[in-house]
Amino acid sequence: MNIVVLVKQVPDTWSERKLTDADHTLDREAADAVLDEINERAVEEALRIKEAQGGEVTVVSMGPDRATDAIRKALSMGADKAVHVSDEALHGSDAVQTARVLAKAIGTVEGYDLILAGNEATDGRAGAVPAMIAELLGLPQLTQARKVSFDGSTVTVERETEEGLTTVQASLPAVVSVTEKINEPRYPSFKGIMAAKKKPVNTVTVADLGIDAGEVGLAGALTTVLEAAPKPPRTAGERVEDDGTGGTKIAEYLVGQKLI
Amino acid sequence: MSQPNGFTESEERLALRAAVADLAGRYGSGYFTARARAGEKTTELWAEVAKHGYLGVAVPEEFGGGGGGIGDLAAVCEELAAAGCPLLLMVVSPAICATVINRYGTAAQRQRWLPGFAAGTTKMAFAITEPDAGSNAHRLATTIRRDGVDWVLSGQKVFISAVDEVEAVLVVARHVDASGQRLQPSLMIVPTGAPGFSYHSIEMDILSPEKQFTLFFDDVRLPADALVGSEDAGLAQLFAGLNPERIMAASFSTGVARHALAKATDYARTRAVWDAPIGAHQGLAHPLAHCAVQVELARLMTQKAAALYDAGQDKAAGEAANMAKYAAGEACAATVDQAIQVHGGNGMTSEYGLGAMLAASRVARIAPVSREMILNFVAAHTLRLPKSY
Ligand SMILES: Cc1cc2nc3c(=O)[nH]c(=O)nc-3n(C[C@H](O)[C@H](O)[C@H](O)COP(=O)(O)OP(=O)(O)OC[C@H]3O[C@@H](n4cnc5c(N)ncnc54)[C@H](O)[C@@H]3O)c2cc1C
Repeated sequence: MNIVVLVKQVPDTWSERKLTDADHTLDREAADAVLDEINERAVEEALRIKEAQGGEVTVVSMGPDRATDAIRKALSMGADKAVHVSDEALHGSDAVQTARVLAKAIGTVEGYDLILAGNEATDGRAGAVPAMIAELLGLPQLTQARKVSFDGSTVTVERETEEGLTTVQASLPAVVSVTEKINEPRYPSFKGIMAAKKKPVNTVTVADLGIDAGEVGLAGALTTVLEAAPKPPRTAGERVEDDGTGGTKIAEYLVGQKLI
Repeated sequence: MSQPNGFTESEERLALRAAVADLAGRYGSGYFTARARAGEKTTELWAEVAKHGYLGVAVPEEFGGGGGGIGDLAAVCEELAAAGCPLLLMVVSPAICATVINRYGTAAQRQRWLPGFAAGTTKMAFAITEPDAGSNAHRLATTIRRDGVDWVLSGQKVFISAVDEVEAVLVVARHVDASGQRLQPSLMIVPTGAPGFSYHSIEMDILSPEKQFTLFFDDVRLPADALVGSEDAGLAQLFAGLNPERIMAASFSTGVARHALAKATDYARTRAVWDAPIGAHQGLAHPLAHCAVQVELARLMTQKAAALYDAGQDKAAGEAANMAKYAAGEACAATVDQAIQVHGGNGMTSEYGLGAMLAASRVARIAPVSREMILNFVAAHTLRLPKSY
């Protein structure tokens, strides 16, 4: 089975994440950049499917030059090759524009059976891109998967949302987005790390994908950030000393906050 | 991104560091100290590090290793220590023992041992120190003599790490001829189960999963292929293994120092006794900055030593490895000491785990070679000063 995995480089959730004052886009200098955690799991799932059924895993990413690091991480885990869409014009693109670009980039990969993605990225958290891509490509979408299995050309997914658990099925090719419950991602082995640099990465611009630069980027985005404020510093919190009534006090606090 | 040639590590090396740090971070110092306090080993950590090929990075690919160098192995060792779970046996088993067998072993010996080192399933200790020959290797009294096609080993070793965890010990002993004349030293692979070989643990005041042992060889009979390298090669072959050992010991120390420094700076940023966090007081900030400078200098020298060693420049690597080991030992002892100071009373609590690092941080000044012997080496070789001994 040939699999495309969408990966995104995001600011490390441990570092301070900021938007720039100039245009309210991500301040890439402020934080360390890493391969998104859920994407790592999507890569892991792709590798497990490949190990069970054979085939090839292609990583597709849209991001600035330094997204190469995230791509290389996926390659060092065991993915075979990559497509990297890198273009100044993409700066500030919204979810719809991103989905359009990624759909075109996926189109450059020959003969894929499955597109895997994380259900949302830890930075934007829109959680919309996989569904939009499915729509653009005219493929079935199976989102929020915590388990994926195959039977011939049918993919079955355990879909977990706040409403509960459902089992959904579609025929391949399809788009599947996974949640953080899907698996535990592997660490790249030393051999994987050494091999990653030799794997093919096809770097393309939006023009290469047949997209007009004017259709993407901040100016043409459908959504606009009007205002942004840094989150307030964390307060000290309330400390409950347990003198036997600790449980009751915590319950009272939660009731007070209308949480229970 | 282009790398300023020679002064930073390759992208692959940095990716290796990140991967090991990630893995080790899941264990952390809590896991490590709990195991050490319970008198238990860190077996599952070793196994997981091994599974990813991180212990076999320096073993040639034809034996299942990573085909990298000692610089890669040192990076693994340092990142584990920086995450609070140093693996002492890494300094010995994959570094000294695998290196010596790879460089001087016969085809059969390499085939027998290297795949195990590559997979991390083989562990081997290294024994040179004797009660009357610690710093002075010329006094070694453990002997090997020929008996037919076999070898017979007799003598005693002390302070040998992790003998209870290994399959065999690489023992340094001197050949004796029929007249009892002591000849060149050689390296012998001695299985821990060999008849006549016994070992006893030494009570040490160091919190570590690895223990130290006294070894006794009572006419231990060994097959011809126990000898690694040629009979009359002498100290040169031994030093082939000791340079990696020094590079690894240095990396172990800079890793421990980084761990202590991270704890100290975290604490100094948040703990406030007056209005400002204590890290704002220059009385604490400057010593910590000084530690950071020492650690970084030691790391740079360690990486230089590894680069020279991996480029096949044994002699230049020897000088750099000694200097790196010295600098790393000093940086480690100074940083752990300062980290304790920064923590005040908490520096001595079990909860913060820094007091527990104190004895271990001093080991770096003593083993595998003491700082005085390194300074002797630098005085004699680098500065060409006359020797007192
Ligand atoms: C935790 C630990 C683990 C160890 N693991 C191993 C192991 O796995 N394998 C192994 O073979 N060994 C091991 N050792 C032994 C270690 O390598 C020796 O302890 C070290 O080389 C010092 O030897 P020594 O203890 O005999 O000290 P000595 O040689 O007795 O030295 C005592 C002091 O005198 C100083 N001194 C000696 N000669 C001179 C001189 N000419 N000029 C100035 N000062 C001098 C030394 O620097 C030192 O400060 C370990 C030791 C420790 C503490």
